[in-house]
Amino acid sequence: MRAEDEARPKGSPDSMGPTPYVARHENSASPVTRHASRPKIAVYWTGSCGGCDVSFLEVGEAIVDILSQVEIVFWPALADPKREDLEAMPPGSIDVALINGTIRTEENVEMVELLREKAKLVVAYGACAHLGGVPSLANLSTREEILGEVLGEGWRRGPPPGGPEEDAPPDLLPRALPLSQVVRVDYTVPGCPPPAGLIGEFFNAFLSGEMPEPGYVFAKAKALCEECPRTREERVLKRIVRPHELLPDPEECLLDQGLICLGPVTRGGCNAACPQAGMPCTGCLGPTPKAGDPGLAMISALASLVRAGEEGEEAIPKEDEILDQLVDLIGTLYKYGVPTFCPLSPERERAGVRGKASPSPVPSQPGRGRRKGGAA
Amino acid sequence: MSPKSGDAIRPSSRHGPRIGVFVCHCGHNIAGTVDVEKVAEALARYPGVVYSTHYDYMCSDPGQELVKRAIKEHRLTGVVVAACSPSMHEPTFRTAGEEAGLNPYLVEIANIREHCSWVHEAGPATTDKAIRITRAAVEKVRGNHPLEPLQIGHAEKCLVIGGGIAGIQAALDVAEAGYEVLLVEKSPTIGGHMAQLSETFPTLDCSQCILTPKMVEAARHPRIRLLTYSEVEEVSGFLGNYHVRIRKKPTYVDPEKCNLCGDCEEVCPVRVPNEFDRGLSERGAIYIPFPQAVPSSYTLDEEACLGLEPLRCSECARVCEVGAIDYDMQEEIIEEDVGAIIVATGFELYPKEEMAEYGAGRIPDVIDGLEFERILSASGPTGGEVRRPSDGKVPKEVVFIQCSGSRDPELHKPYCSKICCMYTAKHALLYRHLVPDGRAYVFYIDIRAGGKGYEEFVARAMEEDRILYLRGKVAKVFREGDKVVVWGVDTLTGKRVEVKADLVVLAQAIVPSPGVTELAQRLHMSCLDEHGFLKEAHPKLRPLETLAGGVFIAGAAQAPKDIPDAVAQASGAAAKAIALLSAPALVHPPEVAIVDEELCSGCGICAPQCPYSAITVEEVAEVNEVLCEGCGACAAACPSGAMSLRNLTDEQVLAMVRAALKEAAEVTSG
Repeated sequence: MRAEDEARPKGSPDSMGPTPYVARHENSASPVTRHASRPKIAVYWTGSCGGCDVSFLEVGEAIVDILSQVEIVFWPALADPKREDLEAMPPGSIDVALINGTIRTEENVEMVELLREKAKLVVAYGACAHLGGVPSLANLSTREEILGEVLGEGWRRGPPPGGPEEDAPPDLLPRALPLSQVVRVDYTVPGCPPPAGLIGEFFNAFLSGEMPEPGYVFAKAKALCEECPRTREERVLKRIVRPHELLPDPEECLLDQGLICLGPVTRGGCNAACPQAGMPCTGCLGPTPKAGDPGLAMISALASLVRAGEEGEEAIPKEDEILDQLVDLIGTLYKYGVPTFCPLSPERERAGVRGKASPSPVPSQPGRGRRKGGAA
Repeated sequence: MSPKSGDAIRPSSRHGPRIGVFVCHCGHNIAGTVDVEKVAEALARYPGVVYSTHYDYMCSDPGQELVKRAIKEHRLTGVVVAACSPSMHEPTFRTAGEEAGLNPYLVEIANIREHCSWVHEAGPATTDKAIRITRAAVEKVRGNHPLEPLQIGHAEKCLVIGGGIAGIQAALDVAEAGYEVLLVEKSPTIGGHMAQLSETFPTLDCSQCILTPKMVEAARHPRIRLLTYSEVEEVSGFLGNYHVRIRKKPTYVDPEKCNLCGDCEEVCPVRVPNEFDRGLSERGAIYIPFPQAVPSSYTLDEEACLGLEPLRCSECARVCEVGAIDYDMQEEIIEEDVGAIIVATGFELYPKEEMAEYGAGRIPDVIDGLEFERILSASGPTGGEVRRPSDGKVPKEVVFIQCSGSRDPELHKPYCSKICCMYTAKHALLYRHLVPDGRAYVFYIDIRAGGKGYEEFVARAMEEDRILYLRGKVAKVFREGDKVVVWGVDTLTGKRVEVKADLVVLAQAIVPSPGVTELAQRLHMSCLDEHGFLKEAHPKLRPLETLAGGVFIAGAAQAPKDIPDAVAQASGAAAKAIALLSAPALVHPPEVAIVDEELCSGCGICAPQCPYSAITVEEVAEVNEVLCEGCGACAAACPSGAMSLRNLTDEQVLAMVRAALKEAAEVTSG
């Protein structure tokens, strides 16, 4: 562990050692000075909209307190660290790496593998890292279809414009992937972006050293409905409408009004923010632990709830008609989880859309390591 | 063991589950199409199976012995019997397992008869399917937990709804067996339709003479609480533990004081049609349906009275010498816990006004069978003389039309009302006795006289009483002067028939009593048939039970019935109720839905799926285990996986599906 100690930035006098971060409260009687014990954190984005980085501000003033207790060693959205800086850090020297964004490019893979090596704990932060996220809806098309659409038919890879010395843009992976399909993930802070309460919950646990069992998702095991103030009267689905087609009643359950609200299959923890604002839940906190495939669970629930008058033979076609009003199945039921919940059909696989279903890392691609420039 | 027993195949024992598989030949029923030996062989190689065999009749005593011995010898932790439907022999084998020391819920049936051998041709594919079904059952057993049946206490009272002959008989039988009975009747007296009848077929007993002793017995019985003028308003709870709320309307007359002098009705200025006489006579607002009414008291009909609040007349109270009339009487709400409920709500006649083709409702001398009963009855509006409603003349030509509204799928009811052939024969016969010079015609489609002495009765009416039976339908009934002309066709001679009658009697179809739909809803019985009659749990084997546990049916509420049938069914329903009430505890299968309260968000999607109303949702869903029948509709609907079925979890179902779909290449060769 010598090398690790040597690599410790100046001002970190003595042994953090390889042991995980231990609880150090502000009033802690620990002999170790607070400065010396500040855990090192990294925040990184892959295929991301940037919302997750901004989400920290949502915590409000408390973020000042939180950030004052940690040492930020790598955060491209805040500072301008380079890949070389990260590479220079000893393995395991970062206490926690919070990674947001979907894994879309070879460079994403390289960077998260590097972070995995340097960090004791890796946290999938936000829906993209957790399940694939909105950008992974791209998996409905092959990489070739996407590139053809954007670059035009018959595009070809050319040399980097600044000559062979300049870095080429990284290759797209065949599919977008959630973080856990590339590296081992210790914890998840879900959401699009994670709600302030859950971010706070994570930092409370982390800073107090009372982290739950690995694999824990920082959200409720119970579905969103538990915290939703809307009222349910008659649990029946008589029609299906999309949000733009209805000004919903402010009190009544959105599902009862015909909006496909994924509340019943989605973890709570956001205080039912969207339903409270009149928008159906789209499932960003991910499915509850035993929901399994949330789309299938929701379809079963909808099929159970649908009613067109009296039960019987005549009602069936009418009920089918109601269920047919459910358009954009994948966009509605799997907005955040295509690579997690939608295995590819054999035809798609043959068409060249391949990803790893297991958490083993994506194998090295040709051209790996070619890009050496700034990570950000 | 029996020499016919198949060879036991013993693979090396394993750790973990030790499951035994027993494949039944069911004579040729299974073995004729399925290669049972192959099934046993294939299962012997299946993971977790330590013993597998086959035998001629697994349900026979030696077959059960085979299972029991194997459980002990091979220390089995689970048993799969590949045989017939679990609805047949599941209890048999579970009991056998229990006798051998295995928890009965670790015994499962793989149905390779109804689901396989009976529906396929012999061949390797059929054997392959039997193997897959059996493998799936092995997977289910592997995931099963030992369970104990649920023990439920119960109330020891019985509620009987309906005070006709069926309800009276049921109440008497239950009370005689030593249990308290609440007998609820919506009208002011018990007795029902039977009290309206003149004589009964085929013996021509006076109906009231044989009924009234039973009415009196019911009223006097120390264990029967009579609640007339009352309706069941609410029923909650479940098998053995129903809570009922009964609303008893005020009669404004104290039955203890009323001496039936009748002065009150004489002075009552109101006259309304008398329901008991089917509107053929009038009664006051204060009245007694008939002299032998039980309870023996007048009743003040609030609807008909000039006004009670404020009091507008009070003549009746003025003349009542015994001071029985109490205008301040309030309605009573009676709440009771009952263990069993017998529904005996009886029948009504299909309204004659529906029979536009017979002029019913427009022509006063076209009447229905119950009206004619009242005309025949000595206590009726004509004092037992046959006189027609329009002008009081004695009719000399009377036409009886059978199947009026029955057996007519196009316009009316498709079913046979069963009792009309007999009562029409009785009507015609009694008419001929009372009006010896009158002529009686009966139009019929068929004569259905199945019953003790019934055929002989109809023959007597035709031959001795010279009633003219005409086989054919009546096309039209219309008025001509003071005659009612009936046009019909005698299909036996092919001739058109015209009768200029004085009176036409329609044998109207029997329909369920109104309000039975609402009552069924209150009882949570999804058990009305397409015509609104109460539906029995099984048309052949459970004719007295409904699908709601502890709710039994008696009398014409189930289907058109004559008196002996209604009485017999009432005694049967009473026996069922007594069996329930006398059980020390009720046993309910433990394979019910359970809620993981850590996961349930209280979204409420499950509750409306439950056909038994077993789920309530407050903070989280809660399953009433006694009401739950384990159908799984809630578990399938639950989006968060919080609801599951005991011994049929999602994991088990998926394991069963995988086991059923997995390749079975090694067995399809034969």
